[in-house]
Order: sequence, then structure tokens, then C-alpha cells
Amino acid sequence: MTDAQLRLRCACGWEASGDEDEVVAAATEHGERVHNMRPTRDEVLAMVVNDSGLS
Amino acid sequence: MREPVPWGVEGPVRGEIFLVWLNGDRLELAGPEGPVPWIVQLDDVEHPVAAVERIVNGLVGEPLLVHSTSWRREGPAVLLSFVAVIDPGQAQGMATEPIHRAELARSEATSAPAAIAHAQVLEHGLRHLAWLSQDDEVVAGRLSLSWRKALADYVPEPFRSLP
Repeated sequence: MTDAQLRLRCACGWEASGDEDEVVAAATEHGERVHNMRPTRDEVLAMVVNDSGLS
Repeated sequence: MREPVPWGVEGPVRGEIFLVWLNGDRLELAGPEGPVPWIVQLDDVEHPVAAVERIVNGLVGEPLLVHSTSWRREGPAVLLSFVAVIDPGQAQGMATEPIHRAELARSEATSAPAAIAHAQVLEHGLRHLAWLSQDDEVVAGRLSLSWRKALADYVPEPFRSLP
């Protein structure tokens, strides 16, 4: 886990930002509730951009 | 600042839900992310209609009706289109907008339409619902008189593929 500020955008327009745990938790909840998807942590992290320059 | 590549639904079979409700005498489209088709992932275990009913139920409560109205290929996936009818109270809190009429996307004799817009899929879905409201006792029994009046202008049309 890092403190990098990450951002994820869903194709439906929904967005999440925060640290790694926050973005993964938000994406997992959004994916399950709205799109019937159960993404893994790695799948979520593969789609984020790092806005902080940290890694 | 780099923009993220949109994350989205994957898999070979996907659902496209049009969440429709009657605002007075006007049909409107709503959705959890706005008045646009709501895309969900489907799998090879759960029946697609059961999955869509469960997903809608989980987000806004039990829908009045869920009907599969067409299918088409989109990119690498088969997209099953559903009309889900909800009560006005279930649309509260969601962005919603009136549904406008559209020309249907018609196939050529031996080829698919060059392009199919969401409005055309919804137009076909509502024509399908209009047909069911006349042909299917269960659907007719679930739709109020106001709903059936709102569908009266739609030319009844059965299920079909929009390949």
C-alpha cells in the first residue's frame, strides 16, 4: 500500500479518488452495486492514474 | 494531469438496462449514473433476467417489470437490452429526463444497421412493451392505465435482434 493519491474513472462517469485502499474499496463497492462486477484489487489498480507523482 | 482510461464492464455477455418510469403522463429515463443506459456484467451462471431483477432491486427496490427487449453485438460482447419499469418513488434521487421518440434502426436485407443509437434501442424497447401490454396478461396487469395510455403511441413490436 502507498499514500499516493490515485484516481479511477468508470465508463459510466463515476469517479473515485484517494489512497490505494480508499480507491479499491470505492471501486469494489461501485462495481458490485451498480455493475454486478467483482473486481480484484489488482484489476482496480491496473486502471488508476496516480495524481500525486508518488508510487 | 493524465486522465484515467475508463474502467468498465467486461465479459462476453453484458446487460443494458433502461430504467423507465412514468412522470405524470410522460415517460422518463433514469439511472444510477444519469439518464443513460445502465451497463451491467452478466455471467454464465445466473439467468440474465434474474440478474437484472436482482441488480435493479438492490439499487432502487423491486421493479414493476423487467423485460428483455432486444440484443445486439457491441465490440467484443453480446449486449442484452432490458426495459425495467419502476415507480416514481424509486426514481427519486436519480437524474432523469424525458424520453423522446426516435426512428428505429432497421437492418438491410442481409446486413446489420450501420449504427444503432441508444435512443433507437429504447424506442424499440418501448414498442416491445407496448406490444406486451396488449398481448401479455402479466404485463398488462402490472401496468397502470396511465402507463398503457403512455405506450399507446408506440407501435407494438415483438422482440428482435438489432445485430
